Amino acid sequence: MTHTYEKPTINKIDFAMASKYGSPLKTQKIRQHIDGVNLDTLTEQFGSPLFVFSQQTIEEKYHALNTAFTSRYPDVQFSWSYKTNYLNAICKIYHDLGSIAEVVSEFEYQKARALGVEGKDIIFNGPYKPKEDLKIAVQEGAKIHVDNLFELGDLEEIADELGIRIPVAIRINMDTGVYPQWSRFGFNFENGEAFDAIERMYDKGKVYLVGIHSHIGTFMLDANAYRVATMKIMQLKTQVESAFNAQIDYIDLGGGFASKSNLKGVYQSAEVIVPTVDDYAEAITGAIYEFNTSDTLPKLYLETGRHLIDEAGYLLTSVQGWKRFPDGKKGYVLDAGVNLLYTSTWYNFNIELDKRYEGENEPSMLNGPLCMNIDIIEENLMLPALDRGSILSISPVGAYNYTQAMQFIRYKPAVVLIDTKGKPRLIKEVDDLATINYKEV
Amino acid sequence: MKSYKVLMKEILKPYSAILFLNNRVAGVLVLAITFLNPSVALSGLIAVLTTVLFAKLIEIKDHYLEYGFYIYNSLLVGMGIGYIFEVSFKSIVLIAVASAFAFMFSFMLNRLFSLYKIPILSLPFSIVTMFVYLASLKYSTLYTTLVNHATMYDISLPLILSAYFKSVGTIFFLPNNLAGLLLLLVVLYFSRIIFLMSTVGFYFGVLSHSFFIGSFEQALYDPYAFNYILVAIALCGIFLLPTLKNFIISLIAIVMSVLLTDAIGTLFHYYAIPVFTLPFNLTVITVIFILSITYYKEFNYNIKSTPEASLSHYLNTIFRFGAIHAKVALPFSGEWSVYQAFDGEWTHKGKYAYAYDFVKRKKGKSYQGEGVHLDEYYCFGESVLSPIDGYVVDVRHDLEDNYIGSIDRVNNWGNYIILRSPSGYFIEISHLMQHSLNVNIGDYVKVNTPLAKCGNSGYSPEPHIHIQVQDVGVLGGFTREFCFTEYYQENVLVSNAVPKHDENVSSVIIDKSIQSKLLFILDEKYTYDIFIDEKYIDSYTFSVKMNTLGEFYFEDYEHNKLYFNSTPTQFYFYHYSGVESHLKRMFILSPRIPFVRKDFVTYEDYLPLNLMKGSFQVLMLELASIVQKNLARLEQQYTLTSETIRSENGKVTLESNKKGFKTIAYKNVVLRRVA
Repeated sequence: MTHTYEKPTINKIDFAMASKYGSPLKTQKIRQHIDGVNLDTLTEQFGSPLFVFSQQTIEEKYHALNTAFTSRYPDVQFSWSYKTNYLNAICKIYHDLGSIAEVVSEFEYQKARALGVEGKDIIFNGPYKPKEDLKIAVQEGAKIHVDNLFELGDLEEIADELGIRIPVAIRINMDTGVYPQWSRFGFNFENGEAFDAIERMYDKGKVYLVGIHSHIGTFMLDANAYRVATMKIMQLKTQVESAFNAQIDYIDLGGGFASKSNLKGVYQSAEVIVPTVDDYAEAITGAIYEFNTSDTLPKLYLETGRHLIDEAGYLLTSVQGWKRFPDGKKGYVLDAGVNLLYTSTWYNFNIELDKRYEGENEPSMLNGPLCMNIDIIEENLMLPALDRGSILSISPVGAYNYTQAMQFIRYKPAVVLIDTKGKPRLIKEVDDLATINYKEV
Repeated sequence: MKSYKVLMKEILKPYSAILFLNNRVAGVLVLAITFLNPSVALSGLIAVLTTVLFAKLIEIKDHYLEYGFYIYNSLLVGMGIGYIFEVSFKSIVLIAVASAFAFMFSFMLNRLFSLYKIPILSLPFSIVTMFVYLASLKYSTLYTTLVNHATMYDISLPLILSAYFKSVGTIFFLPNNLAGLLLLLVVLYFSRIIFLMSTVGFYFGVLSHSFFIGSFEQALYDPYAFNYILVAIALCGIFLLPTLKNFIISLIAIVMSVLLTDAIGTLFHYYAIPVFTLPFNLTVITVIFILSITYYKEFNYNIKSTPEASLSHYLNTIFRFGAIHAKVALPFSGEWSVYQAFDGEWTHKGKYAYAYDFVKRKKGKSYQGEGVHLDEYYCFGESVLSPIDGYVVDVRHDLEDNYIGSIDRVNNWGNYIILRSPSGYFIEISHLMQHSLNVNIGDYVKVNTPLAKCGNSGYSPEPHIHIQVQDVGVLGGFTREFCFTEYYQENVLVSNAVPKHDENVSSVIIDKSIQSKLLFILDEKYTYDIFIDEKYIDSYTFSVKMNTLGEFYFEDYEHNKLYFNSTPTQFYFYHYSGVESHLKRMFILSPRIPFVRKDFVTYEDYLPLNLMKGSFQVLMLELASIVQKNLARLEQQYTLTSETIRSENGKVTLESNKKGFKTIAYKNVVLRRVA
């Protein structure tokens, strides 16, 4: 009988707990409030489970990243990655902070437009852009980032139909020394595919290049990869500018900056392994200065999503019951399941208790309400004995979890935003039967 | 023609140098005054000429002669011989040999003395002339032409004045009221401070002499009283800055020189040789030696043409760039708080007093939650940025970060990094996070480069950054005083300062695009259209030049020169020479351009006196600043918004996407860049 290969993992043992002074007090992580609002108040008022976002954290993270780049480089523009979290209230915060919109589908494009974002302030990315929607985006002056030759063909047809030359950017992929390499979006740099596509643009003369875009991956733990990416973009820029007498106005480094989430199977904590904003900013701006051959510096776009929003989001969930498994482990039944926590596949969440509990910690498992064997939020966690009704806050869950949350056997929960004055505000109500039946015919 | 000019310069320089001046006109005047005793004058000239000829013979490079002090010793030797012997063939031979000797002796002494950064003054003259006088006791034939010491013309004055004037004259072997008066007028014209110190030196010296010998009149008659004058000028104006403290030092030194004059006089009397300037030389060299070795703060490290110029240069430098040599940037980004400053209450004591600890705080707390886990501390895992441009000389990164409540008492410093500054000092940063280093030993890092992460290794109760400056590159080296180049407090850009305990400071991150706009290269030309009241008047061009010292400056067609320099964090103007011009206005409008990009930031700078005030006001302020230094502190407020620097005097805007200044505007004048 052969065994299936399983990736080895090392899990950190809490030394503070194991020491002779070890006090269980220290190993309980407590969160009684978010931005000064008590968790009890929140669940009483808005129900459980509940997504909570902190506007203060959103703004702090934004300012930190923004300052890291704008203090080093004269022309930086952030673009809110809609797919990370497109709740209207959240998008609005980013737009108010000065971000434009980065969308990857016609749905997101429409969402941005509905929020009052002008076409010129939308970056339209993604591997599939339906032609009719692409045409609208072109007419409205959006920044189109071409992903493949079919799309380029569509754009050339649209150019003919509208009788204009369309300014476009090209999405490229490349080897930055990080694996797996993201090579399925855009045109490859190393094998000359990207340059060939640009050559075709100028041969046909229907579109012209104004920007170069890459997005090298997600949760990038090596800031140097951005240096390599920037270098290659700048090299292509120089190449294109001299070959076609063109001027590339902007470069777009996409997103992928890590948030302080603990990756599963990684021994060290997020503080240790995640690069700082200074690391990312220095890598990118340093490479632009170093490899710029033009008289002017290109505008720099960044489509950071996860890094900005992840730590601002919490999921509050209540203990509904517990049981003792045959192996002696304690199992808690929560009212939120993995259908709301899409990222639980990759990250160990930070799970905090609503108050200090008496008693020894013991190995516990957290399960959701899904009636599915896979509904495990945490498989093995040292917890004291919790009561029915205890509120756990799960974080960071600001990125992707809400947009990718799946409605399954229960209603999608409500979302609350705590504003900078510490006032909670409902930004999305809990679904009901009507919401779910709405489009059924 | 050119060599003739150089020769004139070389001949005239020593004449003014004896009066501690550096001015050709002063040289001409002094030379003329020596003709009150033609023998002295001619002998002096012969000495200078033969020295220059001798220097050419042994092919000494011109720049050695330009220093002046090699020749002025010969000049003094020559005048000394001319004072006792009428010009004759024999005396000329004697002068030629003695002055060549004086020249070589000066050269030798200077080489030895310069090791300790002390001047040779007229010590070679004192020694060589002593030998000449001793030898000449045997040359009876020379005495047939022994001259009358009296000069040609004189005026009669009351003793109290006459003694002073004659003393001044005696410096040039002209014990003559008229000579003294004329020399003093020359001095007064070029430097009030020298004049003042000369008067103070003479009368204070005579008074203290009379205190010892019991007769004021006898003290006035002392032929060597000029030593007091020279001591006073040298120690309060030339080698030490003309400040109140140095005034007191010079008074003490004057009394020292009184003792020495009497002592040496008694000894030399047996051999019938005059004391000359030996008391002055011994006194001043003794005082300067100790002050130079111990890095005395009010030492004049940059001797300008007059004490006034030295003082205002010194004050302006102190005001603008601070008195502390070691300047570093903050080793982080964003806003942090001072956890421990210099002489801190916990560990920054004694030899380790000059260190800073920083933490991040929100609402007064350095952690969120209960602060029992490292990751609850705001600064844990933040970047540690390089505070200087320099080399990494030592690192350690294997120590674990202590959990809260425990401390590593064995490895106090924890994980650390030591950087070497090209300016000669070392920087040590401690308590770094385990395995977080981005750099290796030998790497060259620039200001703001991320070096590692803030951690909690070593003797660290909570995550923080520790930074200190050391004289040596080994772990645990004693600390030395330093300051931070620049930091923000709210919207104010503070320079060359240190924040207090518990104060919040934000670091300055360099925008290299601004730096590159101010990277001026030799021979570049910048042309502007001048508009007055929006009417085109003329065009104006300045170009980038460099002098032999490697100093860069802008020069316009009128040869006005505006000197500039760049550091890793700022561009600044530091000297202007010339008449009223647009270049002078540029200095006033933007004396300093920090390489920062912020929506709105204000900063202060201090402008040199001569840029802002009329010449009479400058004269008065220079004198007054001896007593009250702040009188020379011309503070000017600047605001920087994106790429425009504004002040009440006008504004300067940088180009948006190329090098240089786009517009320069003051009063009703606007300069717009055309090329």
